[in-house]
Amino acid sequence: MKKVLVILLLAALGYFLAQTFLEIPLGENRIGDINAQKPTAAGYYLSNTKEKSKVANVVTAIVVNYRGLDTLGEVTVLFLATTGVASILYRRKEEEEEVERLNLPSSNIIRTGARVLFPAITLLGIYVFIHGHLTPGGGFQGGTIVATGFLLMLISYKGFNTNHNIMTWVESIAGLSFVLIGLWGLITDHTFLGNIPQIGELNKLLSGGLIPIIYIAVGFKVAVELTGILDILLKIKPKK
Amino acid sequence: MQQEFHEIFVKYHEIITLGVYGTAIGLMLIGLYAVLMKKNLVKIVIGLSILDAGLHLLFIGIGYVQGGTAPIFSPGYEDAGSKMVDPVPQALVLTAIVIGFAVTAVALSLIIRLYKHHHTAKIDQIKSLKW
Amino acid sequence: MVITPIHYIVVPLLAAFAIPLLVKIHKELPRIIPGLVMFYNIIISIVLMQQVNEFGYVSEVIAGWKAPWGINLIITPFSGFLVSLISFMGFVIWLYQYRFKRVIDVGELKSYGILQMMMITGAIGIIITGDIFNMFVFLEIVAITAISLTSFYRHRDGAEAGFKYLLIGGFSSTLILLAILLLYTQVGTLNMAEISEKIHLVPQGMKATILVLFIVGFGIEAEMFPLNGWAPDAYSQAPGPTSAAFAGIVVKAGVYGLIRIIFTLFDIEGAFDFLIIGGLVTMIIAEFSALKQTNLKRMLAYSSIGQMGLVLIAFGIGTKTAVFAALFLMFNHAVIKSLLFMTGSILMYNSKDKTISTLNGMGKKLPFISLLFSLGAFAIVGLPPFSGFWSKLYILTAAAGEEMILLIGAILAVSIVEIVYYFRVVSKMYFAEETEHITIFKPSVNAKIAMGILGAVILIIGLYPDLITGYLHNAADMILDKASYIDFVLNSNAPVQ
Repeated sequence: MKKVLVILLLAALGYFLAQTFLEIPLGENRIGDINAQKPTAAGYYLSNTKEKSKVANVVTAIVVNYRGLDTLGEVTVLFLATTGVASILYRRKEEEEEVERLNLPSSNIIRTGARVLFPAITLLGIYVFIHGHLTPGGGFQGGTIVATGFLLMLISYKGFNTNHNIMTWVESIAGLSFVLIGLWGLITDHTFLGNIPQIGELNKLLSGGLIPIIYIAVGFKVAVELTGILDILLKIKPKK
Repeated sequence: MQQEFHEIFVKYHEIITLGVYGTAIGLMLIGLYAVLMKKNLVKIVIGLSILDAGLHLLFIGIGYVQGGTAPIFSPGYEDAGSKMVDPVPQALVLTAIVIGFAVTAVALSLIIRLYKHHHTAKIDQIKSLKW
Repeated sequence: MVITPIHYIVVPLLAAFAIPLLVKIHKELPRIIPGLVMFYNIIISIVLMQQVNEFGYVSEVIAGWKAPWGINLIITPFSGFLVSLISFMGFVIWLYQYRFKRVIDVGELKSYGILQMMMITGAIGIIITGDIFNMFVFLEIVAITAISLTSFYRHRDGAEAGFKYLLIGGFSSTLILLAILLLYTQVGTLNMAEISEKIHLVPQGMKATILVLFIVGFGIEAEMFPLNGWAPDAYSQAPGPTSAAFAGIVVKAGVYGLIRIIFTLFDIEGAFDFLIIGGLVTMIIAEFSALKQTNLKRMLAYSSIGQMGLVLIAFGIGTKTAVFAALFLMFNHAVIKSLLFMTGSILMYNSKDKTISTLNGMGKKLPFISLLFSLGAFAIVGLPPFSGFWSKLYILTAAAGEEMILLIGAILAVSIVEIVYYFRVVSKMYFAEETEHITIFKPSVNAKIAMGILGAVILIIGLYPDLITGYLHNAADMILDKASYIDFVLNSNAPVQ
């Protein structure tokens, strides 16, 4: 009975959503003239990023610079999720000794494969967040890739342990450097997260002023935080 | 290549529209169904993630501009500013994905604690979750 | 360095990122640092409110991009009032929780300090941002911290309450995101002032859809019926200071979001009737639910929902007096309900099974706490010498001005219900025979000071309401004046230094 009701409700909702979205034609150009006197937000970003930010990837420019406060908030959300997960699953010292990491038996093939892949995955992740201002990708994507490498190691090696001390340091320093770079802009330029785009030229690794530096900090932070969350979530098996 | 895709897009515009919106809205409905009907807490959280995924697809779909290229001024595309897809939804969806991930992580840790407490992950066996 | 609105966000963030390192130096630092941050928030508020009085507003752009393109922070009399209130409440709550007995382990202390501080920062962020998507991000910061804090204690049913909150919150964020997406396709911007300027271009049907999505999404944070299923559980399971923060801070941010969207973003008249009806239903159901609660914190939670219903009604009436009354009520609710949660959780620590019936004879055992609880109870039902009286009076005046007789009847009837359940508790504390022996948990001095401050505020504002009515009139003018908000944001981009 409940099932029928729910399906009817969902059908109505789906019809309503479809009606709403069919009013918005797919592929329609809503950006307008990007060189207009007062362009739309997207138009402004597309016409100004190349000269004023010297960054090839417009999405990166938006994420890190135009809407930098969103990204700071995003980094904070991740940080708070790590803190929240740690507090929800917190164990006092004496309880800490009673649990160990969940370990599924892994075969030799998986272990060898993981060992071969881990450096490659980490390298790819680092490449992605260092080149965030030139190619698709960036701090969040690269950080996630690095974390998948750690996940692979965590699930295939019983003895693989992350060093919490180092992770805390990396996490805090990456977060602090994001905020401090922003504050530096506040002191020199009177605007938080103000950029110095004069450095470097378009489509070179060294370009975009502070944008790549912030994105690299974000990359480290995301990698460490995701690994930390995975580590906490895996540590649930009670010792006999 | 780009030209070919453009022609296909114009030719089958209605089908592609239905496909994009249909997939996204369909995913959202599937996710909502799981949230409303499933008894297992993990499945509910999976439902929430599917709901989010549908919404993120909508963002990307909406951002597409007919004949547009990726919003990157890579070599050879330095003057393509007026022929790019809308970069704003792509930036927004990045934020939305990260937030979705954070919510999922917190949800999973809550489930671990609920499981420890009640030795079950079934929503109807956890008393105070019924409402 | 000149104090600008961004300090509200940057300073707590610096502290939050640094706490995991600083805890290695000394284990008391995670307790102390949030207090310093909260104190600094008060300083920022004082400085910025002076600027607001002088210039009418304070605006700041992030990364140097002008308002419709970059994210801007704006403090108007309205948001300035709420931010100052939150800063003040944040400091008082910190004072109350400093040396909080239940938190003993360093690791727990660290998480608790960070989460509580960031919840308050998130609420401030919701209020000062001028960008709709940025508001969503801050809303999620509040949601994540609130969920984590709700399930902070492992010996309670916190995880259930947290999971409930998470499901409802996840649903609400999906709706808000959908609304933002639709709005973006229609107006091509995310800046609230520019949206407000362009909203008349949007077709009626689409506009209504977006508005409904927003109202449902933000209604969840603002505890509007029927989206408040999370609230009683979360309030009753969270640590005492967090419950106080929910009532004093988080809900205020949710209401701000709702009001900003209905008053500034949209121009649909029907939304106001919707607020009145939604508020009325919320109020009546919540107050009657409060009547039958046996757990004191749950009772206070339902009472809080009821009060927010009254706030929504007042905003829904929409005249200047009504908006002014709503702001006054928000102020009172923040102060009084936080005091009630603070005293209430101390009373609960001393009761045997957390029910109201075990409060017998508490008036003799904990005279100071009981006195403050009674003060809060009298104030919130609206007895004359206290601040709650004025806000209720102004709401009734506003309703009378619009000749809404039924509404006045409903508010008065609900007030009687309020009187019944609050006086039941108070009379138990003072007049019932002490039945069982109860272990006495003495609150620390700083907690007493914190509660004393709130009690003093209730008395002083009750006797001299003129102290804040001037500010509130300004703020009410600002809410209703859409044009100057747009003007502030879009046409005067030079940050006021």
